Amino acid sequence: MTTLLALPRRYRVPAWGTCLVLAIVAELVYFTLTTRQFAGHGTGMLDLTEQFAPTGVIALGLAMVILTGNIDLSCGASASLAAVIAGTVLAKGGSPVLAIVAAIAVSTLFGLFNGLIVAFVGIDSLLVTLATQFIVTSIATSVAGASPPFGFPSAFTLIGQGSVNDVPFALLIFLVIALAVIVTVGYTSLGRSLTLIGYNPRAALYSGIAIRGSLTAVFTLGGFMSGVAGVLLAAYYNSAQPQIGTDLLLPAITAVILGGMDIFGGAGRIGEVVLAVFLLGFLSQGMLIEGDSSLSVTMVTGLVLIGALVIKFAFERNLRQRFGARMQRLRTLDRDTHE
Amino acid sequence: MTTARNVQAGSSAWRELYMPPRWAMLLRRREILVTAAIVIVVAASTAAHPYFWSSGNLAFIFADSVVITFLALGESFVMIGRGIDLSVGAIMGLSAIVVGFRIQNDGMTLLPAVLLGAAVGIVFGVGNAVLVGLVRLPPIIATLGTLSVYSGLEFVVTNGNQVDTIPSSITNLGSNTVLPGVPVILLLTLPFVLVSAWVLRYTVFGRSVYAVGDDAEAAYRAGIGVQRVQFLTYVISGLFAGLGGVAFLVYTSGASSTTGVNDNLTAIAAAIIGGTALTGGVGGAFGALVGSVFLTVTLTAMSFAHVSDVWQPAGVGVLVLLAVVYDSRSRAGRTRRTAKRQRGAR
Amino acid sequence: MVTGHAGRAEPAVQREQGLRALTGTDYEARGVSKSFANVTVLHDVTVHFHPREIHSIIGENGAGKSTLVRILAGMFPATHGELVLNGKSLPTLTPRDAQRHGIYLVPQEPRLMPDLSVAENLYLGALPRRGLGAVAWRKMIGTTEELITSVGLRADPRLPAGRLSLAQQQLLECARALSHGCGTIFFDEPTSPLTARDAERLFELMWQMRDQGLTLGFISHRLDEIEAVSDRITVLRDGSVVARAERGTYTRENLVTAMIGRTLTISRRSRRTAELGPVMLDVNELVAPPEVSGMSVRVRAGEVVGLAGLVGSGRTEFAEALFGIHRPASGTVTVNGRVITGASPRKCIDAGLIYLAEDRGRNGIFADVDIARNATSAIVRHLPRTAGSFIRPRKEQEIARAAALEMDVRASSVAAAMKTLSGGNQQKALLARWMLAKPLVAIFDEPTRGVDVGAKESIYATIESLAASGLATLVISSELEELVRICDRVYSVYEGRVTGELAGEAITLGALGQLAVGA
Repeated sequence: MTTLLALPRRYRVPAWGTCLVLAIVAELVYFTLTTRQFAGHGTGMLDLTEQFAPTGVIALGLAMVILTGNIDLSCGASASLAAVIAGTVLAKGGSPVLAIVAAIAVSTLFGLFNGLIVAFVGIDSLLVTLATQFIVTSIATSVAGASPPFGFPSAFTLIGQGSVNDVPFALLIFLVIALAVIVTVGYTSLGRSLTLIGYNPRAALYSGIAIRGSLTAVFTLGGFMSGVAGVLLAAYYNSAQPQIGTDLLLPAITAVILGGMDIFGGAGRIGEVVLAVFLLGFLSQGMLIEGDSSLSVTMVTGLVLIGALVIKFAFERNLRQRFGARMQRLRTLDRDTHE
Repeated sequence: MTTARNVQAGSSAWRELYMPPRWAMLLRRREILVTAAIVIVVAASTAAHPYFWSSGNLAFIFADSVVITFLALGESFVMIGRGIDLSVGAIMGLSAIVVGFRIQNDGMTLLPAVLLGAAVGIVFGVGNAVLVGLVRLPPIIATLGTLSVYSGLEFVVTNGNQVDTIPSSITNLGSNTVLPGVPVILLLTLPFVLVSAWVLRYTVFGRSVYAVGDDAEAAYRAGIGVQRVQFLTYVISGLFAGLGGVAFLVYTSGASSTTGVNDNLTAIAAAIIGGTALTGGVGGAFGALVGSVFLTVTLTAMSFAHVSDVWQPAGVGVLVLLAVVYDSRSRAGRTRRTAKRQRGAR
Repeated sequence: MVTGHAGRAEPAVQREQGLRALTGTDYEARGVSKSFANVTVLHDVTVHFHPREIHSIIGENGAGKSTLVRILAGMFPATHGELVLNGKSLPTLTPRDAQRHGIYLVPQEPRLMPDLSVAENLYLGALPRRGLGAVAWRKMIGTTEELITSVGLRADPRLPAGRLSLAQQQLLECARALSHGCGTIFFDEPTSPLTARDAERLFELMWQMRDQGLTLGFISHRLDEIEAVSDRITVLRDGSVVARAERGTYTRENLVTAMIGRTLTISRRSRRTAELGPVMLDVNELVAPPEVSGMSVRVRAGEVVGLAGLVGSGRTEFAEALFGIHRPASGTVTVNGRVITGASPRKCIDAGLIYLAEDRGRNGIFADVDIARNATSAIVRHLPRTAGSFIRPRKEQEIARAAALEMDVRASSVAAAMKTLSGGNQQKALLARWMLAKPLVAIFDEPTRGVDVGAKESIYATIESLAASGLATLVISSELEELVRICDRVYSVYEGRVTGELAGEAITLGALGQLAVGA
């Protein structure tokens, strides 16, 4: 065998990303042609992004957690709590800045709590966040009280509803955060640690990677993102219902899976998750404008999630037949494993 | 030359590997511990609120727990096999709605209602079974997907109506008591628990579920039909969820488009408290029963202590965390010489 | 023998008769080829197994032995060729079909269900039934006791199998083969995790089975075992049969030549004239229960020190206690004058101590990740950055490439996934990773396990040149020849303690072998 050991080519166009882009273009064209209000004087599509920007922010936090092979089921509830807290602070006369800081601080703290239990007590993140989700939901409902706050000062609602040159703030915030996450995951020590932990936690340990610290950090960041999403939600809807964010868990997970991330950790590109957010977001909004009910949207989202999984697994089974299963994960049984 | 360390021949080896006597093992069993915990909570609550220990209240608690018992029974099958089913609440809701309308509008009686509920549960359980057992999707995401689809279906089936009239012939099962504090419906549930326990402990299929949960690949190599076993566990989970729906009607005499959607965690919590772990290979039917009774008793005690209902989900969450922490502490002690994953079911 | 319940004599007699009634089959792989996608692993292999024979398949790692035997046992189908049982060609097999035909594979690492009882593990997949799908528990426990005693295993059948030792689990696998009525049994590298004494016990069992008429296949790459045990040998190299021999008609050199295609002599390490440096690694009375009971070890700069011992003597646990994977209960660890007892792996690496772990599949490589990121995984913090924070991928790849070239890694590019490399190249890539961390002290745990002979030479050369440039090296190995070859000094370890030390010329196979078993 000759030793070539060449340096890799500078950049390869990702296949899945291209599929997503094509799908987005296809659906935008479809909705523009079939529904009059969709493109609405050209800027309609941009306005629609305000609706799903919060979901996108949650999805970004969730993607980082899933990158490590964990999951955060409490992200939606955390966003609800953040929204409720922001609303309550505003209702009691606090400034928008105080409301935002308080909301994000609380949800970040819950993220930290999740992280500490997962990293230091060593409990599976599925169980921890399943439990935390319910604890946070109770707190949110309790804080919201009998009549949840609504009607916030315009300085606050601007975040969720305002725009700059027709580009909504919410979209800008989402894109900025997306960029930050892409850079973090791809180019920082933390991001590298997260990726390696996702691929093989034991090898990461033996490589000297700070596993507990990284896991705590990623859940905390997830909490932070949920907080931002909660603020966006409260600003957009101009009210703080305690269920406001919980419904976003499903679309967020769907976006992450649709974006090609491996639920077991390691593989996946944040950029493709961003594309998936747009794909899913425009799909839901288009359906709503067409006149479908929100529960149809939920069902369709569920079907998209299942469909994305099926495609991924069918695709990967092909790959597995080429190189053999990953040693450290038992996923499915494939008769052609060899090692 | 003897190798003292390698436990091979010699009577010391024999003694070390012999099982401790039955009664010692029994005391350590999870179900006994949880039952003891139930007794403690009941005692504490009665001390503070004497009404707690009354036939009416106890019957109420048991009837309440029956729904979760059914869900937890099905969930136990799935979890022992190292899976998870997040859609049991929605399946229960669908069953309650479908059966409820038939009772309300068409006057269906109890036995056909139970059969219909079971059928509904099986149908939707098969949906999960196909995705996880046949298509081999990761259970947590797959059942999250079916949860949303089934929840949506609840809206579709109710079509804006709801079930609100169930004849007392049926709801009395929840309030009539055979012995003081023991409602009829609990007695009707016990056979299911017993049959499940028997299946899990004494049938080839039941033992296969444990085998698949412990090490699916080795089970496959041994000739166990792993896919078939996993498929069946999700069907069973659906079946019990369907039965749970009928129990729900007995207990609440109504159903709507949001029924059951929050009961997923409670079912999982009951199973975990009762000794079933997400990593599979351990647990049982009696665990599901005592786990759900414990949950219901504790939540009712909370109500009695004037804790607002808003905090009930938090209560369940905290109990799950405690149970899981306790589990991880006690399992850390055991030597594990075979390859076994510690991370949960995906 | 029978305890706990009124065991009837009848089943015992039946069982013995049953054992005697087992016969081996005449089993042949004819013209078998196997490809996984584009990679051909077996090419036109014909091997014939006869009753009353122990037929060994030998070859280097990657020669295809495991693949062949898994095809024979029905794990997956061959791409071409056929399996002929007693003269009849078999259709595509599943493991269950194979068992029904009496064929059983004792896998390399016995995997039992830790939460199921010994009896259920024995009868896994074939629990005795009683009607209504129920399990015949009492009967199962009774026959289990008889069966496991007949293979020399003493344990309560109701015990959860997780409590058995590895050797006991292996015996259980043998018992399982017999319980399924299988007379054709294949062993895939069974002795790798066993002590010498357990291995002997296994061989005794195999001879017993052979004399009773069973057909036995044995895979190993340990030549001394092969020579002791085999009646017939087939040598595989790169997926093809290159030699066949019967007992007494070959020499070890023949075998080695056939396996690797060239002769190999075990040469002693060239005597080094340079002065050894100061003590770099100083471990004093390290205790890490339950495996490590108090070990003291010293390694100087430029020295290659070996830790000899059997599998299970506690050497890996010792290394892991040094490296921070486990916390030592007492004792001190000093690297270059700095006390780092109980420090995390990160801190150890920063202090100059690295550890190449034993099980590289589980603890070493990131299989799906490219070679470059595998190579830099220990030095991420020190990678060149823009603006102080952002990793520069191009630079990273250049660094990785340089390190991989230096370690002689054979691959097409550093962007290739680690799993596409052979075992030997993976190990070299891991060496590249650790050398990038610029260590002062290196612990290599079984550095040539699962590595073909060619790559082995390369790794030995690397170790020697690293020592020459001042690295203090501790090598943990179960291959005594390896220790003789590369070490200046060897400690022997037995049951968590250092039992002896050999230096220079005194390091011989005989001396090491004696110390290793605690004599």
